[in-house]
Amino acid sequence: MSKRIWQHPEVPANETTVSWRSVGQLENTPEFRTWLEREFPRGAAEMADSEDAEVSRRSFLKLMGASTALAGFGMAACRRPESYILPYANAPEWVIPGKATYYASSFPRPEGATPLVVTTFEGRPTKLGPNTLHPDNSGTDAFAQASILDLYNPARSKQVLRDGQPSSRADFEKALAEIAKNKSAKVGIVFGRDDSPTRARLAKEFNENTKFYAYEALEGEKVKAIDGGQKIVVDFAKADRIVSLDCDFTSLDPVGPVTPFFSRRKPEGASYDKKASADSMNRLYVVESAYSMTGGMADHRLRVKPSQLLIVAAEIARQVGAGVFGDVEAPDADTKKWVTTMVEDMKSNPSAVVAGSRAPEAVHLLVAAINAKLGNLGEGKPVKVVRTDAGALAGIEELVADLNGNKIDTLILFTPSNPVYDAPSDLAFREALAKAKTSIHFGLRTDATARACNWHVPASHYLESWADARTATGVYTVVQPMIFPLYSECASEIEVLTALLSEDGMLMTGEGEVGAPSPAYIAVRKTFEGIAGEGEAAWKKLLHDGFLAGSKYDVGEINFAGRVDAAIKAAPKGGELELIFATDASVYDGRWIDNGWLQEAPDPISKISWDNVALIAPKTAKELGLYDEIVPLQTDTAAVPPDHEGEHRTGKLISIKVGEQTLEVPVQIGFGQAENTVIVSLGYGQGFNADDELGRPTTDEANVSLVGVNSGFNAYPLRTTAASYFAVLAEAPAKTGVKYSIAATQEHHSMYGRALAREISTMTDEESHKDFDAQLANVKKQGIDSHMPPNVSLYKQEDRNGQPLISDKIHQWAMAIDLSSCMGCNACLVACQAENNIPIVGKEQLAKGREMHWIRMDRYFASVNGDQDNPEMIPQPVACVQCESAPCETVCPVNATVHTEDGLNAMAYNRCIGTRYCANNCPYKARRLTSSTTTSATRLSPTTFTKGRSAKSRLAPPLTSSATRT
Amino acid sequence: MANFFPRWTNILPFKIAICAGSLGAGAVAAFTWYGTPKTQAVGYQPSQPIPFSHKIHADQLGMDCRYCHSFVDVSGHSNVPTSNTCWNCHQHVQKESPKLQPLRNRMDPALKHPDFGKPVEWVRVHKAPDFVYFNHSAHVNRGVSCVSCHGRVDQMEVVFQDQNLSMGWCLECHRAPEKHLRPLEEVFNLKFDAEDYLAKSNREDFKGLKTQEDLGLKLKEMWQVQPRESCATCHH
Repeated sequence: MSKRIWQHPEVPANETTVSWRSVGQLENTPEFRTWLEREFPRGAAEMADSEDAEVSRRSFLKLMGASTALAGFGMAACRRPESYILPYANAPEWVIPGKATYYASSFPRPEGATPLVVTTFEGRPTKLGPNTLHPDNSGTDAFAQASILDLYNPARSKQVLRDGQPSSRADFEKALAEIAKNKSAKVGIVFGRDDSPTRARLAKEFNENTKFYAYEALEGEKVKAIDGGQKIVVDFAKADRIVSLDCDFTSLDPVGPVTPFFSRRKPEGASYDKKASADSMNRLYVVESAYSMTGGMADHRLRVKPSQLLIVAAEIARQVGAGVFGDVEAPDADTKKWVTTMVEDMKSNPSAVVAGSRAPEAVHLLVAAINAKLGNLGEGKPVKVVRTDAGALAGIEELVADLNGNKIDTLILFTPSNPVYDAPSDLAFREALAKAKTSIHFGLRTDATARACNWHVPASHYLESWADARTATGVYTVVQPMIFPLYSECASEIEVLTALLSEDGMLMTGEGEVGAPSPAYIAVRKTFEGIAGEGEAAWKKLLHDGFLAGSKYDVGEINFAGRVDAAIKAAPKGGELELIFATDASVYDGRWIDNGWLQEAPDPISKISWDNVALIAPKTAKELGLYDEIVPLQTDTAAVPPDHEGEHRTGKLISIKVGEQTLEVPVQIGFGQAENTVIVSLGYGQGFNADDELGRPTTDEANVSLVGVNSGFNAYPLRTTAASYFAVLAEAPAKTGVKYSIAATQEHHSMYGRALAREISTMTDEESHKDFDAQLANVKKQGIDSHMPPNVSLYKQEDRNGQPLISDKIHQWAMAIDLSSCMGCNACLVACQAENNIPIVGKEQLAKGREMHWIRMDRYFASVNGDQDNPEMIPQPVACVQCESAPCETVCPVNATVHTEDGLNAMAYNRCIGTRYCANNCPYKARRLTSSTTTSATRLSPTTFTKGRSAKSRLAPPLTSSATRT
Repeated sequence: MANFFPRWTNILPFKIAICAGSLGAGAVAAFTWYGTPKTQAVGYQPSQPIPFSHKIHADQLGMDCRYCHSFVDVSGHSNVPTSNTCWNCHQHVQKESPKLQPLRNRMDPALKHPDFGKPVEWVRVHKAPDFVYFNHSAHVNRGVSCVSCHGRVDQMEVVFQDQNLSMGWCLECHRAPEKHLRPLEEVFNLKFDAEDYLAKSNREDFKGLKTQEDLGLKLKEMWQVQPRESCATCHH
């Protein structure tokens, strides 16, 4: 008998909110309904394609049958296999086998380093966590969590390359020595935009023949606007109203530590200990084109095309009295009304206005003027301009000009970006690079730039290097190595700089002679002594805490007067249809393309993994005639969908043309996006091999590993210096008729009417949200709860004497997630993957719904009052909720999943036989099977609390003396 | 006279054979189940690269277990000592003994042996399967002695496995910990005997206690010992 189909009323009677996760759900397409009714996609139960069939159960037994028999007769099967214990010859200090040792370090980044506490086991780092002692601690985001995988990535660069061919470290050392000894050679050194005091100090020691540049692909025009080596830092604790002009400051475009922002949004206070009061909460206004996570948190959101950002900024400036700038168009009536209401709100509260890094220079200057006028700018105020240690460094345009003018003999690239791949295409960086006599690239991956340079030197990972960094507000933070460089040819940036500064140019890395410290250690220690004085005590405290207490940046100032008009003239003009080159939440600018965890983590907004797509707003898609391409509403073969399901889901490719360059990219619907925009994220399409679905040229195959190959579409060729954030499309995108498979997770694990994400409002207008208590009472009846009969539990809650049946009366576990604060950034998803060794499954398996993540991040769009063009975004993290009366525990035929005495749902992996009844019964669809064939080692795993951190704290601590009194 | 035997006797030999066979099989099965050990691990006594004798070191010399197995009370692993622990004494003691040659090869730089710096390859005697996590410190800090699981190691010239370490065996103690609990200062005293200890003890709260079970129950109550029995205790 087939599965019973419940006919739920779609939405409770008085419910006005419509929520949806995907276009299919919204349009209620036949494909979606079919997909929904069958829990797993068609074909997921079998291993249908030819490759999989080779390993079907029958053939497995056939293959193994012979060797199993042989093993039985052989001597090896009779004896117990010997295993060995190999202790150290000389025990290292502090290492206790089986116990973790924790060290403070940090992850250097352009927006300020992320302070970390690294968990190491026997000298090997295994997990990164935030350094809670650090004043700028804002947790760790998905990139920081995934960065540990790069340390162990087998595709990491291990060998010195000479013109793209394997060479040796000895050869490079000779070349480096030549360069170092030649003090009159013209050297250009390109850093990233992360700030390092030691690097800045060493840079000052070079002579006048060495010129320094800094380049990051997505630095935007902010570095031009906030010039002189300064940057903006926002103290969100001080701001009651925050206005973001396309600044995704909570995740991809930080302007200061972000935890204070979230703390101000908790009505009970950051520690949930005060009485709930809406008065202390901040309010966020966001003006943006695409949905971002900050936009998801926004209280009020305005969608504009990127060219209109300038108009909005000018209007705000006009209304607050910061100035009237004539050359800017006037906003339309709706925008003006929105701005007026917002400005009213801002005038009477301390506020902070922030602009996204990639907005035009004019917007940054206007924002500075607005902040100055509102009194937000300065020491002790929400917005501050600070001076970095790096100082003013020349940018990529000047670099290319110098290269083309033959002003650089030797070019050394330390930047983590990949200029041959990601520099604006009109700069023709590859050709300019060839003009340098010698070019040296230094990096973790053998990417396009590595192969285009004369030398490529594998970089030490930051977990293997001595360095220092500054966090967002300028706190001096150390980067200390956890382990010697895993590959002997690796060198760190400071080691190379030290070699260049030395007389003989000898490159020393790690510990040269046994026991001698790395030159990077000596350099960092010297820098620190210059700041904090000499002596062991201060140094040891730095290593222990990870930072120098009380350190911060000096305050600077921004001179915007007189620059605004010229900047407005130079600002890029808009057009009817605008293509936005977006920062990607999985690969950023492309540097993480070989990181499997990040690639598999679905994009927080579009929920697409392993690829990028072009996102278009639904209205615009309909106008351009593309909507039917994406969501066929009626097909001849509706009973058997030609695509749109599981591994057969595809997106149709559209062709986008900017200037002479064309990009063919699959198109999907982007809800909440501004109309007349097309959004493509950057960083993909770096290399293809023979297995590429579209048969793209394989010339760049060596630039990526097997993780990043055949992944996505490269939008960088369309990007120029004039159009580095957005480009105007002269013509509408053309249909190509070609299909490309897409791994979208947004329809996986549908909730079948169980309302997980529930929302109520603190608004008290007359229309619908009158009474908070009434809303609370109403929200308990959302989804299935609106029509479910009272629950009759099969579990006894109390024993015969009326005592609750909780085994351990002292310890009971609980985990709480503050859903009001959750922005859906995937940091928890990647952290869980790091902690629990959750495997990645790859694009094809993920499309079938077999992603292994123990936490999934559902993302709902919800429109109140029917405005589906500007919906709210509600992220809902779903992990195993450790049900007390767990439906998965009762149905396991072998009792592999049980409830522990202290309230956790536990999984005994070795007992599981792969029935998957538990996954079937889980109302949250939180259970995953780790093996796809039925062998004796299947495991179905929901629970993480029984090992790692929580298990540690359950171990018996040593008894106190009172219990053992003698 | 013609049919002396009734019809049913035709099938009787067959039936007797089946019955006898079943009884025999039953007897064999019963003997196998009840009369033979459940595991084959007990008695495993591999030879080690260096014939280290616990009897000499732990019994004769009176060294505490923790001199070598130093992290047993803080970590899940009870560590096998690193070579430098052995070298502490043996760079001076028994310098000519051929039994210690593997150690000298690894620890003495003057010998310039190719094995210098390499670990000693001890053969592992007690091994739980990979899907089991056992934590020594949890047990040792709550009064379970080495003896309970490893037997009288201080009497072993060559270490052998004394208990079967199967899950059922673990659960026996988890369900009745009083059989193995002892005061913390006696955990590493492998010669401990509960009855002698109680007879000699003048501790106020041990008055009136006679046997191991009595002592164990008293300690269980004092320390609130609640051994976990859910699967996730060991199978993470």
